[in-house]
Amino acid sequence: MTATLPETAHQQTDKADKYARLIQPTRVHGSLYTDPEVFAEELERIWYRTWVYVGHESEVRRPGDYVRKNIGPQDVVMTRDRDGEVHLLLNRCAHRGNLVCDAPSGNSNSFRCPYHGWTYRNNGDLLGYPYNKGYGGKGKLALGLGRLPRVASYQGFVFGSFASDGPTLTEHLGAAAGELDRLARLSPEGEVELTAGWLKHRTRANWKLLAENETDGYHPQFVHGSIFSVTGSPIGALYSDNSTAVTRDLGGGHSENDLRPEFRRFGEPMRWFGTTEDRVPQYVARMRELHGPAAEEILVEGSPHVMIFPNLFIAEIQLFVIQPLAAGECVQHATAIQLKGAPELNRRMVSQCVGSAGPAGMLLADDTEMYERNQRGVALREPEWVDIRRGVDRERTDDNGFRIGTATDETGMRGFWSHYRNLMEA
Amino acid sequence: MNGNEIVGSEFAEVAVSVDTTANGPRLRLEDRRTGRVRHLDALELEALVWLPDGHLSRLLDPSADRWREDAGS
Ligand code: FES
Ligand SMILES: [Fe+2]
Repeated sequence: MTATLPETAHQQTDKADKYARLIQPTRVHGSLYTDPEVFAEELERIWYRTWVYVGHESEVRRPGDYVRKNIGPQDVVMTRDRDGEVHLLLNRCAHRGNLVCDAPSGNSNSFRCPYHGWTYRNNGDLLGYPYNKGYGGKGKLALGLGRLPRVASYQGFVFGSFASDGPTLTEHLGAAAGELDRLARLSPEGEVELTAGWLKHRTRANWKLLAENETDGYHPQFVHGSIFSVTGSPIGALYSDNSTAVTRDLGGGHSENDLRPEFRRFGEPMRWFGTTEDRVPQYVARMRELHGPAAEEILVEGSPHVMIFPNLFIAEIQLFVIQPLAAGECVQHATAIQLKGAPELNRRMVSQCVGSAGPAGMLLADDTEMYERNQRGVALREPEWVDIRRGVDRERTDDNGFRIGTATDETGMRGFWSHYRNLMEA
Repeated sequence: MNGNEIVGSEFAEVAVSVDTTANGPRLRLEDRRTGRVRHLDALELEALVWLPDGHLSRLLDPSADRWREDAGS
């Protein structure tokens, strides 16, 4: 990890004051999106401390499999060793710091650095180095690849933390874990697979604009009007004033657009998927066989629309990972969700994902246009603040104690910022 | 000779085939980066299958055989 000077008590209070000033209950300061110093502090206090989503176990199915991943600007290699254990390694040679792996993915039980040939096992252990007399012989160096001190997974979703202690992954996920369960149970085999390949979109915007937007139900009618009208999609109506859908602050910075009330109102299996059951007969039959009468609820309620702090966004049929690179730059990684044992759905999810997030896709491009304009807007000097008060006076607490607003309210953003502030002041 | 497939990664590339020109079949391995060739017979392959992982890791130490100060070539 980066060496930092110990902070004096004085500096700490300054920092707490700073974020208390910049983050208020119904507005946040524009500089939070543009200030490089804020970004540097976010790396230390959020990205290099809390649990961050890295990859999915299905991406390294076999022993020896590896994929290149990242946590912010950090280049991470996710591997599976011979015993089946998943590791998150930093892609940095212990000799002179060269990148060890170059390919986006592959199968190799060991990695050889291209610079001077130091060789590592895929759990990070140093296996050896050429011409070892220069080091006094074999096994003389207590070195290895950097490793994330904590790795844990939930429903196959692998998270890493650069902090050796702190809340567990289960504590970090809190209520958001239930959304991953809801996604996994849509598979007749109870497993999500992220095997459809990845699209990457470099975006000139601060990562928080994306995280906030993922559960912003206020924008779809405007930003996505064209795709809704072209496809005759009923999605637009889910995000209107008449919608019974809710925006929920799940705590821990996580939030969701819970569309289930709308889908229950119609009670039609697969409506959430924009189709009818006769179009996916094998899937529906398999789910009914597996779950009996309970299948109806699953088939009606469908998939979650949830933003898991700080970087994992599940949007029903596709998934996005947000990778921040600088105050004004990030990469959006997108893939179609695949459900094990559901080929009828999987094919459609791939084509829907390409249609929305592919190079000629119509959904992500619209959002990204807003992100980049927004980034330029928040850099202007006046009026300084970004307003997040929408629906604050009509917020309620649901039966489980979560704050909820209507489908178009900014409840999720307020939850995001209150968690963000806690982390930044810590 | 039977087939000629490449087992390759970003770290190494080896062409693999079964050589039938001898009195019995042998696996022919060619390191594509140097052209060096090795044949392995059935008994040698069986020994590899039974090699404990630790053994194999030791062979992967670059100084174990190939890159040594005292190596012949
Ligand atoms: S930097 Fe990797 S072997 Fe020298
Ligand atoms: Fe959008």
